[in-house]
Amino acid sequence: MIPSDSEELHVLAGEYVLGVLEPEVMNELALAAGSNPALSLAIAYWEERLHGLSRLALPADPPPQTWARIAERIAVPAMPARRIGLWNCLGFWRGSAALATAVAASLALYIALAPRPAALRFVAVLHSPQQEPAAWIATAVGNGLLLRAVASVAAPGDRSFELWAIGPSGGAPKALGVVPANGQLEIGALPEALEDGATLAISIEPKAGSPAGRPTGPVVFLGRLNTVRP
Amino acid sequence: MDSKIASLSSLEDLIAAAGGGSTSALKRLYELESRRLYGVALRIAGRPELAADALQDAFVQIWQRARSYSAERGTAAAWLTGIVRYRTIDAVRKVGREILSDDPALGDRADSPDIEEQMDRSLMQDALRRCMGELEQNQRRCVALAFVEGLSHSEIAARLGVPLGSVKSWIRRGLLWLRSCIGNDPQR
Repeated sequence: MIPSDSEELHVLAGEYVLGVLEPEVMNELALAAGSNPALSLAIAYWEERLHGLSRLALPADPPPQTWARIAERIAVPAMPARRIGLWNCLGFWRGSAALATAVAASLALYIALAPRPAALRFVAVLHSPQQEPAAWIATAVGNGLLLRAVASVAAPGDRSFELWAIGPSGGAPKALGVVPANGQLEIGALPEALEDGATLAISIEPKAGSPAGRPTGPVVFLGRLNTVRP
Repeated sequence: MDSKIASLSSLEDLIAAAGGGSTSALKRLYELESRRLYGVALRIAGRPELAADALQDAFVQIWQRARSYSAERGTAAAWLTGIVRYRTIDAVRKVGREILSDDPALGDRADSPDIEEQMDRSLMQDALRRCMGELEQNQRRCVALAFVEGLSHSEIAARLGVPLGSVKSWIRRGLLWLRSCIGNDPQR
C-alpha cells in the first residue's frame, strides 16, 4: 500500500497533506505514518513546504467559550482521598509511566500471592497520556477481562468511556466494550485473545459507545498489556 | 509557574511544556495561535460551529501529542496547522458538504475570496510563491483549493466542473513540480 519509491511516496504524502484523498485512505495513512518513518518524513516535508498557503485563510476570533471547553476536556480527573486497602492506596498507584511496568509487575505479584479463583494471564495499568497516576487496572479473568477504575474517574456529561485493544504491531483498534458508570467493566469472553505487548486504550464516546466501530473521541487513558506467568 | 510559562517565547517551547503536562502552556499556545488556526478551520468548514468544534478537537489532540513533537520534524506553526486542518477536513467529511451548499445563506462559496488573486498578494514564503507561480494554472488552482479549502479530488472536480481524472493528474503533476522547484529548503 505505501510505495517504497521516493517519488511515489512523496506524491502520496503530498495528497495526504493537501487532504484530497478519500477518508478511509486518509485514516490508513495517518495510522501507517506512526510506524513508517519515510512516510512520516514525507508528510512533514509537505506540511512544512505548503504551510505558506494557510496564510490565505484570514485569522478570525473563535467563539469565546472555546478555550473553556478545551480546558474541560483535558482536565485530569481528580484522585479520591480515601484509602481502602491496596487497590485504593494512592501511594501505591502514583508514579510515572516509567514505573508503570514495575507497578504492573508488583500488581501481578500481589495478585499471584492473593487467593484468586481465576488463573491470571495478563495485567495492564492505564494512565492518561500525560502520565498522571494510574487510573485503571485491567486483568484477565478466565477467557475475559475485568477493568476497574482505581482513581475517581468520570466521563464528561452525557458521554461514556469505551475500552479498545490495539495489537502489538498496531492496526485498527478493536472495541471491547463501554464502561458502565460504576467504573467497572467485566467481559466474560474476549472476541479474540489479547497478545502480549498489546495496548489497551479508553476513549470518550457517545453514551452508547462509538457509532463508527473505531474511537471517535479523544483517547484519555492508555496502558500496555503485560502477560503474567504464575 | 504561570509567569514562567508566559515568558516562554517560542511555540516550540510552549509545545514542549505542554508535553510535560503544563495546561498553562497549552493555554498560552491557544492565546497565541487560536485566531490564526480558527481562520484556517473556518475557511475549510465554512460554518463557525463546525470550525469551533474542530478547533476544540485539534487542541485536545495537540495536548495529547505535544510530547511527540520535535523541532527536527518541522516548525511548530506548520505542525499545529496540520493538526487543525486534518481535524477540520475529517469533521466536514463526516457531516457532508451538501448541508453547506443547501443553505442559501451560506452561498455556494462563490463569494469566498478568489484564491488566485489572494495568492498574488499573499505573504507566502518566497520559494512557495515563486514555485506556485510557475505552475500551470489548473495545477495551481487545484493545489490551492485542496490546501486552503480542504476539498477532496472529487469535490474539486465538482467545483470546477472537470473530470475527476484531470484533477488527480493536475494535483499529481503539481506536487511533482513543487517538489523539484522548492527542493529541501523552504526558505530558498
